[in-house]
Amino acid sequence: MNSLAGISHGVQSPAPTIADRSIDDAGKPAAKILIRNLNFYYGDNKALKSINVPLYERKVTAFIGPSGCGKSTLLRILNRIYSLYPHQRAEGDVLLDGANILDPGQDLNLLRARIGMVFQKPTPFPMSIYENIAFGVRLFEKLSRAEIDERVQSALRRAAIWDEVKDKLQANGLSLSGGQQQRLCIARTVALRPEVILLDEPCSALDPISTAKIEELIDELKDDYTIAIVTHNMQQAARVSDYTAFMYLGELVEFDTTSKMFTSPGDRRTQDYITGRFG
Amino acid sequence: MDRYAWRRLRNSIVITLSIGATALGLGWLILILGSLVYEGLSGLSLAVFTQMTPPPGADGGLLNPIIGSLILTVLAILIGTPIGMLAGTYMAEYGKFAKLTVVVRFINDILLSAPSIVVGLFVYEILVAPMGHFSGWAGAVALALIVIPVVVRTTEDMLSLVPKELRESATALGLPLAHVIRYVSYRAALAGIITGVLLAVARISGETAPLLFTALNNQFFSTNLNAPISSLPVVIFQFALSPYEDWQKLAWIGALIITFAVLALSITARALSASRKSP
Amino acid sequence: MALSANAEASAAAMSRTKVLGRLRARDLVFRHLTRAAAILVLIILSGVIIALIEGSLPALQAFGFDFLLEERWNPVTEKFGALAPIYGTLVTSFIAMLIAVPLGLLIALFLTELCPMWLRRPIGIAIELLAGIPSIIYGIWGLFVFAPFLQRTLQPVLIDWFENVPILSSLFEGPPYGIGILTASLILAIMVLPFVTSISRDVFEAVPPVLKEAAYGVGCTTWEVLRHVVLPYARVGVVGGVMLSLGRALGETMAVTFVIGNAHKVSASILAPGTTISATIANEFTEAVGDLYTSSLIALGLILFVITFIVLAAARLLLLRLEKRVG
Repeated sequence: MNSLAGISHGVQSPAPTIADRSIDDAGKPAAKILIRNLNFYYGDNKALKSINVPLYERKVTAFIGPSGCGKSTLLRILNRIYSLYPHQRAEGDVLLDGANILDPGQDLNLLRARIGMVFQKPTPFPMSIYENIAFGVRLFEKLSRAEIDERVQSALRRAAIWDEVKDKLQANGLSLSGGQQQRLCIARTVALRPEVILLDEPCSALDPISTAKIEELIDELKDDYTIAIVTHNMQQAARVSDYTAFMYLGELVEFDTTSKMFTSPGDRRTQDYITGRFG
Repeated sequence: MDRYAWRRLRNSIVITLSIGATALGLGWLILILGSLVYEGLSGLSLAVFTQMTPPPGADGGLLNPIIGSLILTVLAILIGTPIGMLAGTYMAEYGKFAKLTVVVRFINDILLSAPSIVVGLFVYEILVAPMGHFSGWAGAVALALIVIPVVVRTTEDMLSLVPKELRESATALGLPLAHVIRYVSYRAALAGIITGVLLAVARISGETAPLLFTALNNQFFSTNLNAPISSLPVVIFQFALSPYEDWQKLAWIGALIITFAVLALSITARALSASRKSP
Repeated sequence: MALSANAEASAAAMSRTKVLGRLRARDLVFRHLTRAAAILVLIILSGVIIALIEGSLPALQAFGFDFLLEERWNPVTEKFGALAPIYGTLVTSFIAMLIAVPLGLLIALFLTELCPMWLRRPIGIAIELLAGIPSIIYGIWGLFVFAPFLQRTLQPVLIDWFENVPILSSLFEGPPYGIGILTASLILAIMVLPFVTSISRDVFEAVPPVLKEAAYGVGCTTWEVLRHVVLPYARVGVVGGVMLSLGRALGETMAVTFVIGNAHKVSASILAPGTTISATIANEFTEAVGDLYTSSLIALGLILFVITFIVLAAARLLLLRLEKRVG
């Protein structure tokens, strides 16, 4: 499955010069991830059909659409978490900094360290709050106790939860409220310094106040990370994202800047969905 | 009698029978426990735990069988639990979708209910006969062979209960499966796995047949595993079938001790699994 | 700024790949270790079968197929036949199931339909405690309490009742020893009861409440719901559970050994002493002198293992089919 030949993919991207920082010729930001002709199958069932979409660097791209349209399926391809299950397979190109992650030689562990994911249901590990963050860091890097403390603190700050937990770092992660648990999961992901963060309906299990906090968080995080968010809440998509992709029945119907998408969408189906005609 | 009354009558009969059956079932439990307490409790004294088994007509205790049983049980658990846990881990994690797992699960379930005397015969053939003598090691191995299927089953069941989102979260950080298992799955399933081990201990505490021709018995206090070693069940067997009243009395006392131990273990295991259910 | 950030990212990626290499090596070792343990389970089963066959060979070669049909068991003349133990095993298990299955189903009915909620857990736990009591306890209780009791009460009654009944009298004749096939069967029944009960209860509880409610709604009585809705739906599960319990009963040793009487005889009367395969092995193995004697006992073990294996495998297959259908 993972061969060490994949290392070459991981460090292939040359260090860019200041001149071409995140802007390509067309004036649009560079695509951190480029999806070309992507097809996905659950067994014999074709769930995604010829998807073509870019995820621009340090921007938030939202994926919206009715239930079953394939948006979560698409997200789960980006960190190849679907590879855990033998009956699921993907065909096509998913280029991360130019290298195709669907390549059989791709180092999956390295890929997942570069692309983090937060799930719909908050999943704190059965350990203390401190350990939830620290154990991943410790596994990947050799750091002193003080350095780990610092990493934990900065991750928790980044996730806007430091003040709430700084006095109870040894408490079990499960003792937090739903919204706090989700922010803990975000902190855990951020602690490993990924380049991309995938959010799969991160607020659907949370109350409105926690949702608002996380939306604020997304706004801050996009300064440093490329973010893709799947959401069934259109208002949320309109609030947090720079670009929006509308999916329907396994196809990408329309992709554009969020402002254009929600004011004057090109496709009839997009318009119907946004105005609430279906979904 | 009209049709409806006839139906009512039949129903009442069945209901009465089922209540009677339940009373009968509970009645046996009370009868058996009652006999145990009645016959065994009166003889329970410190001497039972401090003196060796006596020749008929003399005073004595059950020290060597108690110690022997403890040694054999601990050894059997030490040998059987790692093997059982590893096999269960393969079936629930690495081999989740493998054909091997289906076969092993089937075979394991059969071994779970297989006659324990056959296990004794098997160990006799592979250990006692070649070695030329009975030994504590053979007894421990025989008991371990009974522990393994129990632990395999509970480990696989408990690991399968770990929510897949939790596993995916750990994988999404970039961890290989072994680390996902070690840091997340095992911790999440720990209470259940321990329950399984406790149940295995309860099961082997009362097993006599596998010890009859492996560890045999030893009249004197001995902890030498290379020689026959005493155990409570075998001593009860020998003493109960003897014509000597004081030996029979000791058999009852031993039976009381075993039953008490087994019930205590079962109740602890149950309490553990109940506490796990409440989050 | 961007330059250093990206260079830093590349450096981090390099060290990360090194670390991952190490982690993956450990993963590989663990994977192989767990796989080996799983294969060990298969090896154990094969080992048991092979060891038993190897040990039985002398006896099987000496007696051939007649071993199964010969009643004589004579250590002195070294003539051994498995008929009495096989007969005893089958008869005691059969009678035990005859008693335990209806009782178990009735208790399961009680627990799922009639029992008030607050009583359900305690009674369920009590039934499971019955299952947890080691078989040697049943044995010693059977020998000292139950058998004498039967000797005084049930057995004389049975002998009296059936004395003049034409065919059945041979089933119940003989002096009331107290021990014997009937006593062993009754003890086995008590031992097997909790297994039948808990599997039946699980299967009954799996019946969709909608089905039962629909039946009650049409005016069915509890018994009718059980008979026409629950049992047909749960049939496969109940049969599977019964077979599992049968597998247990066939292999039971200690409870039976104490009270079966240890006579290598096939008698028509169930009040007579007899023997089962496991009781024979338990009683005689350590005293067995001579290769043929030992080998005959191991051959008995092989027969028992084959019988229980078939019953248990059939039970598992049935239950697997049930899971496939429901799930």
